[in-house]
Amino acid sequence: MLTSILGPYTRTILTGVIIWITIVFCFTLMSNAYVGIFPFFEWMETTWFGIIGKTWGAAFAFVQTIHLLSLALLGGAVLAAEGRILGLLLTDVSAQIVIERCHVLLVWALVLLISTGVFMACGVALKVYYLPVFWYKMLALGTGILFHFYIRKPLFRFDLQQINPIVVKMTAIASILVWFMVAATGRWIGFSG
Amino acid sequence: MTESKNTDYQEQTEDEHLKDSQNSAFLAAATIILFSGVYWAIQIESVKELLILAYG
Repeated sequence: MLTSILGPYTRTILTGVIIWITIVFCFTLMSNAYVGIFPFFEWMETTWFGIIGKTWGAAFAFVQTIHLLSLALLGGAVLAAEGRILGLLLTDVSAQIVIERCHVLLVWALVLLISTGVFMACGVALKVYYLPVFWYKMLALGTGILFHFYIRKPLFRFDLQQINPIVVKMTAIASILVWFMVAATGRWIGFSG
Repeated sequence: MTESKNTDYQEQTEDEHLKDSQNSAFLAAATIILFSGVYWAIQIESVKELLILAYG
C-alpha cells in the first residue's frame, strides 16, 4: 500500500520523515508533552510495581540484577554481530549465521530489559522524570529498536557482498553507538539523584 | 519469453529493495553517528570544564 504511494524508496522516505518528526518534536512540542506526562509518572509510583520497588529493596535489587544481565546479553549480541560485520571477530563463521543468531539473543535481551526496566522505573518514577539523562535513554532505546528492526535487519537480509561496504560499516558502527548510548545513559541514571 | 520477463522484473524489484535499504541505512546511520559525536563531545567538554572549575 505504502510502496504504491511512495514509490520504490518507501523505506528511505519514511526514515527521513521519522528523523524530521523527531527533530521537530524535540524543538517544539517536547516541553508541552513533558508537562502533560507528569501525572502518568505519579500514577506509576502508586502501582503494585511502584510500591514493591519502593518498599522492598531486595525485590528492586533482584530485578535490577536481571536488568543488568540482560543489558550484558544485549551488549554481547551487538558486539559479536557488529564485530563480525566489521571483520574484527568470528571471521571463520558465516556473517549471516552470526547476524541471525545474535538477532535472536538481542530480541530476548530486549524483552527482559524492557519488562524489568518498567518495574524499576515504577519504583523511582518521579526521580527519573526529572532526570534529563532518562529521556536521552528513552530516545536512544526507541532509536535503537527502530534502527535494528526497520533499518539494520532488512539491510542485512541481503548478502554483505551485495551491499556498499561503506554503508555496511556505517550501519555496524551506528548500531554499536546507539546501544552504547542506551547502556551508558542507563548506568548514568543509576549514579544520578 | 514471459519467464524471462518475470525474472527481469524480480531482479529489478530486488535491486530497488536493496537500494532503498542501503539509502535508508545510510541516512539513519549518518544521523546516529553525527548525534552521538556531538552528544559525547558536549559531555566530555562539560566534564573538562567542571574539572577546571574544581582543580584549576
